[in-house]
Amino acid sequence: MSGKTIVSLIIKWGALICLILLVRSEFSGNKISKTEFDTMQEKVLAEADNSVMQSADNQMIRRLYGLDPSEYEGVSLSYPITNMGAEEILLVKLKEVSQADTVLAAIESRLATQKKSFDGYGAAQTEMLESSIVDHVGNYILFVSAEDPGSVKNVFESAL
Amino acid sequence: MTLSSLSFVFLFLPVFCLIYYLVPRRAGIVILFLGSLLFYAWGNPKNLLILLFVTLFNYGAGLEIAALKKGRRSTFLAMTTAVVGNIAVLAVYKYSSLSMPIGISFYIFSAISYLADVQMGKAKEESNPLYLAVYIAFFPKVTSGPIVRFSEMREQIRNPRISAPAAAAGLELFLVGLFKKILIADTLGAAFSSITGLGEMAAASAWLGMIFYSLQLYFDFSGYSDMAIGLARMLGFRFEKNFDYPYCSGNISEFWRRWHISLGAWFREYVYIPLGGNRCSAARQLVNLMAVWALTGIWHGSTFNFLFWGLYHGCLVLLDKFVLGNIFRAIPKWIAALITDLAVFIGWVFFFSPSLGSAFGYLGKMLGGDRLGFWNSGTSFILGQNLLLLILAVVLCTPLLRKLHDRLVFRIHPKGIFVLSFVCYGVLFVLSVAGMVSSTYSTFLYFQF
Repeated sequence: MSGKTIVSLIIKWGALICLILLVRSEFSGNKISKTEFDTMQEKVLAEADNSVMQSADNQMIRRLYGLDPSEYEGVSLSYPITNMGAEEILLVKLKEVSQADTVLAAIESRLATQKKSFDGYGAAQTEMLESSIVDHVGNYILFVSAEDPGSVKNVFESAL
Repeated sequence: MTLSSLSFVFLFLPVFCLIYYLVPRRAGIVILFLGSLLFYAWGNPKNLLILLFVTLFNYGAGLEIAALKKGRRSTFLAMTTAVVGNIAVLAVYKYSSLSMPIGISFYIFSAISYLADVQMGKAKEESNPLYLAVYIAFFPKVTSGPIVRFSEMREQIRNPRISAPAAAAGLELFLVGLFKKILIADTLGAAFSSITGLGEMAAASAWLGMIFYSLQLYFDFSGYSDMAIGLARMLGFRFEKNFDYPYCSGNISEFWRRWHISLGAWFREYVYIPLGGNRCSAARQLVNLMAVWALTGIWHGSTFNFLFWGLYHGCLVLLDKFVLGNIFRAIPKWIAALITDLAVFIGWVFFFSPSLGSAFGYLGKMLGGDRLGFWNSGTSFILGQNLLLLILAVVLCTPLLRKLHDRLVFRIHPKGIFVLSFVCYGVLFVLSVAGMVSSTYSTFLYFQF
């Protein structure tokens, strides 16, 4: 086997191995879930404390997040009943993965606004917002601000 | 980034062209390479890794095949592993739950074209990885083709023919494509959405929906192709046209010689002919043709409706080849074209429907399945709203305006032609930009493939 052939084999199989590793990492991190939005919503909300939150209509989702629900496969928002609450759960199922940036930016903006609202007087709320979780897996995005956001996140990920 | 976005038209393209035209010719290839990577990575940098590894894989595979050929050894195993590797990557991204990197179907087919051309001796292997990367990732064609064969592009990459007349012709074609996409395809898309949003509809509304989508698909994809070919020309590359007024075809075989020409040529060159092409028994020919059409369907999507669509066209081509060919040649061309369009348009129902069941459901609506009669007030409203658009689209599907333009060009004084062209293309550009600014982002239909 000539030196040229050996080099070409190294490049070919090296690139293929890199591709396989890339695909493997994508399968673990960027799964497109076929779970129905309603099923996911039901499971996520069952894990949350719904007594402190109310369900938002499309107009409220537009107002608080600037997102148009009709552009997504599904959007659900539970937001605090009172102005002193910081509990919030936003669940979005994307139509296209490219929509993720818009949703993540909207969550970031909402979180910044909420933190600013409680800054200086609402220590518990600020702490809750600080420990809030944004979880993006493939075509689903979850934002949860709650007493125990980790348990909601676990339910979300296992339902994907 | 898409070719019809404001960021491309007003930022990427002018900056890229300025640098590309100003740097010494020898550095042009580096600018093309970097520009193509930037274009592809814009918005989703992760997909760039896949493109780069695919390029490297095929670079190595091409060298291996060439080295084996020189040593007069069998290339079968090397070629097979390379093609299987490419198809496996394509299949994983296209048919699994992973999000599909934009343009992967197009650049993987380009890569296979490279390997096949090296293997068949149609082109020499590419020893410079930069040249191969530009062939695979060339930004005008990376997202939606045309699938230019390596043997056609190899010399052009080494020596792009940049000239003022070619750049002007390329810019004209780009503007025509932009106009087709923004002002015709996207408006037809809105009309189509207004019909599919109805849920229940009169039969004529369903027919209108099918016609709107068929026209939208043509203007969307041919618009993109015009833009890609025009841009390539501006950069010193000459690609063959990808569409040639397909809805004026007198039979289905002619339609496929005029629609997505580069994909048809790819399948003919690398699948149909190696399988035996026309030089075999009629039975074998039939099997070969159906295999090619099944593959064409699967290339477009993983659901059964695409496979069905491919086989449907395979059957139409067989009917034309063995049964109806002489009849279609005997009847007036315009009647033959109408019948051909009807068959093609019905095929597009399987294209736009999410599943085989919903496609048949839509065909049922066209036969009055919703029990709202043939025509109702909704039909009149939608037709009234879009009548001018429909007439314009139908006229633009024919070479009528092109012929008129060419006649004028030969009659008017050269100075007058320049002024008239400048005004016409200027108006097209202004209208297109106005459309881009006012409308929401609308991606190209063929990006999903």
